[in-house]
Amino acid sequence: MKRHDVLILGGGLAGASAARVAHQAGADVAIVSKLSPLRSHTVAAAGGINAALAAGDTWEGHAFDTIKGSDFLADQDSVEILCREAPNLIVEMDHLGTPFSRDESGTLFNRPFGGMRQARAFFAGDRTGLALMQTAWEQLVKAGVTLYEEWAATSLIVENGRFSGLIAYRIADGTLEEFQGKAVVVCTGPGGQMYLKSTNAVTCTGDGTALAFRAGCALKDMEFVQFHPTSLHGPNILITEAARGEGGILKNAKGERFMEKYSPKMVDLAPRDIVSRSIQTEANEGRAFPGGYVHLDLTHLGAARIKERLPEVYQFSTEFAGVDPGKEPIPIEPAQHYIMGGIATNNAGATNVPGIFAAGECACVSLHGANRLGGNALLECIAFGKHAGAAAAAFAKKTAQIAGGEQILQQEDRRVDWLLKTEGGERVEALRLELKQVMWDNVGVFRNEQDMAAALAAVRALRKRYPSIRVGAPGKQFNYALIEAMELRNLLDLSEVIVMGALARRESRGAHSRTDFPSRDDPNWLKHTLAWWRGDRIELTYEPVRITQWQPQERTY
Amino acid sequence: MAAAGADVLVTKIKVYRFDPEVAKAAHYDEWDLDVKPGQTVLDLLHEVHYFHDPTLSFRRSCRSAICGSCAMNINGRTGLSCNTQAKPLLDRDGYLIVEPMKNMPVLKDLVADMGGFWKAVYDIDPYLRPGADPPKGPYVVPKHRMDLLKIAQDCIMCGSCLSECTSREANPEYLGPAALAKAYRFVADARDDASVERLKEYSQPNGIWDCDTCLYCNEVCPMGVKPMDAIMYMREKAIEAGIHSQGSKHALAFYDTLLETGKLNEFKTAIKSLGIPGLVAQSPIAAKVVLHGKTPDLRKKPIKGMADVKKLAALVEKKRKGAKK
Repeated sequence: MKRHDVLILGGGLAGASAARVAHQAGADVAIVSKLSPLRSHTVAAAGGINAALAAGDTWEGHAFDTIKGSDFLADQDSVEILCREAPNLIVEMDHLGTPFSRDESGTLFNRPFGGMRQARAFFAGDRTGLALMQTAWEQLVKAGVTLYEEWAATSLIVENGRFSGLIAYRIADGTLEEFQGKAVVVCTGPGGQMYLKSTNAVTCTGDGTALAFRAGCALKDMEFVQFHPTSLHGPNILITEAARGEGGILKNAKGERFMEKYSPKMVDLAPRDIVSRSIQTEANEGRAFPGGYVHLDLTHLGAARIKERLPEVYQFSTEFAGVDPGKEPIPIEPAQHYIMGGIATNNAGATNVPGIFAAGECACVSLHGANRLGGNALLECIAFGKHAGAAAAAFAKKTAQIAGGEQILQQEDRRVDWLLKTEGGERVEALRLELKQVMWDNVGVFRNEQDMAAALAAVRALRKRYPSIRVGAPGKQFNYALIEAMELRNLLDLSEVIVMGALARRESRGAHSRTDFPSRDDPNWLKHTLAWWRGDRIELTYEPVRITQWQPQERTY
Repeated sequence: MAAAGADVLVTKIKVYRFDPEVAKAAHYDEWDLDVKPGQTVLDLLHEVHYFHDPTLSFRRSCRSAICGSCAMNINGRTGLSCNTQAKPLLDRDGYLIVEPMKNMPVLKDLVADMGGFWKAVYDIDPYLRPGADPPKGPYVVPKHRMDLLKIAQDCIMCGSCLSECTSREANPEYLGPAALAKAYRFVADARDDASVERLKEYSQPNGIWDCDTCLYCNEVCPMGVKPMDAIMYMREKAIEAGIHSQGSKHALAFYDTLLETGKLNEFKTAIKSLGIPGLVAQSPIAAKVVLHGKTPDLRKKPIKGMADVKKLAALVEKKRKGAKK
């Protein structure tokens, strides 16, 4: 048994930020992650981090763009916090060592991003997430925060309605252990691996979201799934929005700059939901290349500029598509990229279960509402990671440790043992592929009642088949087949929440776009979905959106 | 096995297997796979793991060459499995053999123990050590100065360089290219105020002077990081700062005797870099050298074109003095 005041589940940018602040507040902090922190998916974030830091920009401008981008579903008091704090956070990260790109006078560069009326995305080349993650990790090393690397959490323990610890499985040797803690900050990031086409890492399986859900935390707005318009056709590797921020142009198979039609004002830099739908429409109407992709043309920028500003785009295009972006356009298609929804929290990162906090992509404050704007995710990880870390440390200070995870440990031990020995007929990967196909085909860029009803039935059937799985690997050391079986359970639970929320929401808003209900319906649906785990079923409730100073208006670009 | 189409190659993939729970010795397993154009080595490993043998273990995450999880030895060269295309490799070599990284103990199959790798990175104080209070806004650092970081800042800590490092192979205590590239990243950062202290620390044994300049680290890095360039930069800065160690003395002695005599005089170099007591301490090694017939050849002649070498040296000196001003 291990014991710390504050446990941080996940070591990405949100987790590392939370850990840093909780440690500074005097708490004994430990990070528990199924990866090494530097392997977290934060490093895949490429293009930038938003802040109203440039001369003439205002936090209100940033906030309005974010709220309009969210299709007015974001909670406006939360967005205000995010945008007010953003400039200082950029400065703070610079002071801690992030090598932001800058000009010869030393002024930080910024560039335009989708849905923003002003250039306010700051960056380190096009590996901004990597640079910020390195800085956040360096600070953990400096502070001497305890790291439990390659420990996969299997369950959060709630005793008498309060958090008391978690159970984690050590991938290196198969040890299952109880971690006692007064508070936990869940920072496990993305969970988009239930989609066939996704830019998410293979390990992005929503583990923390599912664990918190089953521990009694409400999940908010999970039906809002972002499809990034420009993933590399085939492997679905992310081609950053910065490519369009630097001047990249989308063209269909006829060579037309089709975004002029869909977004006369912002054209290629319209928000992601709109660009993805536009590409999908071009494909549906026969103007895409065979296989359903379109072109992202950077050739007019020239190889030198691409290598200077977009080195990763250059690397990805050449290594994964065999395309030199200085000479040829890049074949791209939409793919799942981000889940706006997540563990419902207040502005301090607290959930409805005392002692459980959450931050980053796995959380839903809500900052992004129905559609997130590029450059706001890294910002959220730092801003709300810090808030959650501070709140968790304060909570731990005034709370006594509850003992008693022994029973849960035994239960989890039996479950692992069962997984190792069970000889069912269902291959884990076969079930996972079925799930990915179902979600992609039926709960994707465009949705309708019939498809989603079919998806709900299919996901429920897959959940019923889960007990018949076969892991096929009995070992204790680095048994990734076992980890994948645990991950599949999480993906299945979250998929059901996504489909239920989407099926119930009879309107189109942001990334949730229904062909049978094509308009936004504020009188009935300007509200958040909350999903609750009731053991044998999932229940949906709703809560109002917090509006401060920006009344909903028509969302055109 | 399904019939192969025109673009599909049916091939064997040979994979290193080691499971300490089952057997003490390692072995290789082979699978017949269809290899389609565009498939990476990681795709093939996934196919084996998902559909043929779930016990096969390997680390991976992002599959887009940015998380650093999946470095391994592929056809004799370390790289990321996720950005290594299988078909061109097969076309070139006619086979595909996947093994774990070198210079690290193997834990299971393709999973290497990176504990030693991380320890070295921790050992170099991998965080900014700024001076007095920071400015109100961001630090004012001009682009050309921040660009110094470019040869190191994209390191994803995959371990490929350490796996191929010949100095590490000879000396397991050597910090290695990734840790020293990280060290450089702070030495070169205008915001860091501890560069002299750092250079002193890195000039200790097992640091910057232990690199044997084989260049493999620069060669294999999947991110274009240049650890060896970073190490050479720190050597120069250490000498400029008057930080002397056996390594720097050796380099200077090498340089001096070459300019003086037009040839490498090992005896002079040794006396200059080690001093008499050091020489005495090293005498057992010298004796071994003689025993193995590796005595320096005293008859060798000065190199041709010494005048040009001297001109070149003068130019470099001039440039260096100019840069200092």
